[in-house]
Amino acid sequence: MPTHALQIRNLAFRYDAPGSTPFELHVGSLVLGAGEQMLLTARSGGGKSTLLGLICGLMDPLRGTIEIDGQDIHDLRGAARDRFRGARIGVIFQTFNLLIGFSAIENVLAPLMLSNIPRGEHQARAAALLERLGIERPHAKVEHLSVGQQQRVAVARAVACKPALVLADEPTASLDPENAGGAMDLIQGICRDTGAALLCVSHDPSMAQRFPRQERLDALSTQGANAS
Amino acid sequence: MTDWTIIRRSMTGRMFSTVTTVLTVGVAVALMLVLLAMQGAGRRAFERGSGNMHLLASADASPLVAILNGIFYANAPRRPLTWAQFDRVARSAPWEYAVPTQYGDSFMGLPVLATNTDFFARFQPNPGSAWRLREGRFFEAPFEVVVGARAARATGLKVGDTIHLTHGAPQSRDLGDASAVAPHVHTEYDYHVVGILEPTGGSHDRALFTDLSSAWIIHAHDRRVRENPGAGRTTQEHLTDADRLITGIYLRLVTRAGSDTPANLPQVFDQLRRDATLTIAQPKQELDRLFLIVGNVNELLVAIAAVVLVSSGIAIMLALYNSMEQRRRQIAVLRVLGASRSRIFGLVTTEAALIGMLGAVVGIALSAVGAAAAAGVMKTRLGLDIDAALPPREIVRVVLIAVALSTLAGFVPAMMAYRTSVAKNLRPIA
Repeated sequence: MPTHALQIRNLAFRYDAPGSTPFELHVGSLVLGAGEQMLLTARSGGGKSTLLGLICGLMDPLRGTIEIDGQDIHDLRGAARDRFRGARIGVIFQTFNLLIGFSAIENVLAPLMLSNIPRGEHQARAAALLERLGIERPHAKVEHLSVGQQQRVAVARAVACKPALVLADEPTASLDPENAGGAMDLIQGICRDTGAALLCVSHDPSMAQRFPRQERLDALSTQGANAS
Repeated sequence: MTDWTIIRRSMTGRMFSTVTTVLTVGVAVALMLVLLAMQGAGRRAFERGSGNMHLLASADASPLVAILNGIFYANAPRRPLTWAQFDRVARSAPWEYAVPTQYGDSFMGLPVLATNTDFFARFQPNPGSAWRLREGRFFEAPFEVVVGARAARATGLKVGDTIHLTHGAPQSRDLGDASAVAPHVHTEYDYHVVGILEPTGGSHDRALFTDLSSAWIIHAHDRRVRENPGAGRTTQEHLTDADRLITGIYLRLVTRAGSDTPANLPQVFDQLRRDATLTIAQPKQELDRLFLIVGNVNELLVAIAAVVLVSSGIAIMLALYNSMEQRRRQIAVLRVLGASRSRIFGLVTTEAALIGMLGAVVGIALSAVGAAAAAGVMKTRLGLDIDAALPPREIVRVVLIAVALSTLAGFVPAMMAYRTSVAKNLRPIA
């Protein structure tokens, strides 16, 4: 069992957008231990989405390595990388990105269906998660649920495959301050319970007190730029 | 939750689009199936009439006209053959049968064929199967009538009925021929229905059959009244050679057991053709020629159906293409959750194939209705009894083509789905 949920080394990414200055991202070193929770703050346009895309293996770096649970995701190709992402990384989006037209439980079943987890376990696992997260109507279409309930479905979906790493991208930006606190309790609690590390990206100042460890993306970048 | 759930939700989520696309494919498949069924059935219906005869002799203008008049009752032949000519033909070769026929009378617009008992005893309307009676017996004497299956249904005639024939075929009115007899009903001669035939599926089903001498007597009676308006009842004794006219001869050569094409057929055919007063037709050859002409039209129709099928494929492509715009986010989410590009590609092509398959099922159902309707039209307009059932192999072929085309049509939207950028489509809506 690797001790690191996430280990980034000498990461460099460059995107040449036509007609504008090229976008560059450097991360010298970023390590997140198993089950560790960390807040990453970034200014708008600072490369937060790019970093998440790189960690998920949706974009390829210029150089450097990103290991999740001991596996360099960029060493995997095609379907293998997709399956690895689905199984080992859970993502919670700001806008939830639930599958519209599908029920709450179907949204939680989706990543299980795409994983190698035996089909027989799916239903029980999804139902137990939803119950634990307080979803009262698991068979209701997600678009008919309240925003708070939708958030819970998104959290349940992120941890359905028992990932090593949960990425939360501005998880509270769509919620009012009251609900935001509850949602963060939920996310941090379930990550602790399932043993998943949590990398939360946010610029919400109220988040700071929740995380003992905090990093600034531009600080990591500078560090990376200096290193190279 | 399976891939199937995702496909089903995608289809039911856009119910209107799915239903219209399925119907589009269904109509195209039905059109194709009906045309193919009609093509085969039309030919089969035509082939049934000529039965097991090898040659047809008449005085018609061309062999094709001889076939259309002599077998399919298109028009009453205008030029007759004399009994002397019949005798000559009958003695010219080793015939298994030489059956004289005369088509000139009608009953309620249905053709009446005057012939002799060999017509039922020797000539087989479908090769290998003899005439069968549903009721009564074949005619044995003048003024006895046997009614074809469809003619019986159309007229409601039954054994024991007495009828009066119309001298002159239903169409002879249109010929504008001064020598043609104006159709008139012979109430002075009673015909007795003695038998009703089982259906043969061919042209003869809508005809009535009677003894040649009765037709001759009516013809002789007309002649005698013309010569002497006060002439009495005409009998066999009044017949002269000028009355003993026929319009066709069904001919079959003696064949060896197990063979239907006698070796001497070409030789006999050539020999008979030397007689310029005769028109000799080989039904199979003439039908081939006819279908060569009709076949072009058929091919054109099938080509049009193929184009309709292709455009239904384009409709699938369009429907899925439009849906892709709405589904980009869903596809991106599925990718993040672990779905590979090829799985996404598979989802979209499977949906397209499924629409094609549903369309094909709808098409088969529609074609069953459509073929029955088309067969009905052929029956009432052309008098052809059409068995419009398409062989299952053909149906499977058309279904496979429809599904293959649909799947192909799914490739463009599936490619869009395959290429969907995950990062771009998951950005929060600004």
